[in-house]
Amino acid sequence: MLFFRSEERVNEWCRSRGLPRRPIIRLDQLWQLAVAWYENRLRPDARRPGPDEMRRIFAGIGLEGPFWDPESDEFG
Amino acid sequence: MQFDTQVKTAVYRWTVETTKPPTVVEMSEVVGAPARDVRESYRRLRASRVLFLEPDGETIRMAPPFSGVPTQHCVRVGGREYYANCSWDALGIPAALQEKAQVSSRCEQTLEPIRIEVGREGPEPVPVVAHFAVPAAKWWADLVYT
Repeated sequence: MLFFRSEERVNEWCRSRGLPRRPIIRLDQLWQLAVAWYENRLRPDARRPGPDEMRRIFAGIGLEGPFWDPESDEFG
Repeated sequence: MQFDTQVKTAVYRWTVETTKPPTVVEMSEVVGAPARDVRESYRRLRASRVLFLEPDGETIRMAPPFSGVPTQHCVRVGGREYYANCSWDALGIPAALQEKAQVSSRCEQTLEPIRIEVGREGPEPVPVVAHFAVPAAKWWADLVYT
């Protein structure tokens, strides 16, 4: 989960390493993920989201499909 | 409060205050329990994906969003500097602390510096994106790479 200046820089980075291009997340989406995941992390009753919660969080910001499914076996 | 919850809460409080996760010995003194009990608690917290430990089974590498080792993602909050595990966690630190922050990182392709001002309502718009190379189902298979 790395930062890049642009989608073009991501494409160059993936090509140079022979890696598949995977989802690119906008900064506003990344912030929404950060808030959903960590807003309550310092509270004693905080816990990591379960699979269904993860799907809901991802879908809520437009991230859907097997890549975002924590129980998918599509990627081996 | 259950012991593991007590340890987890104390680990995060320590990390927020000192910017680095505590050792087993340090945590043992904080919670007033033998080091053996804290070590076992760390391992249970690892199993439940709350903490990520080094191969020694007791050094905290990650108390997400905080990193126990320096990374390219530095987050300044007030007078403190934290390291984050990844781009997501770099924004996760101000989200967790509910404070303004300055994120200093880099473009992984060009290595040029990236600076993001994060307010309480989120980051100011800058030309930056994040690439997620690993699918969600595989994140904990190799969390350092992820």
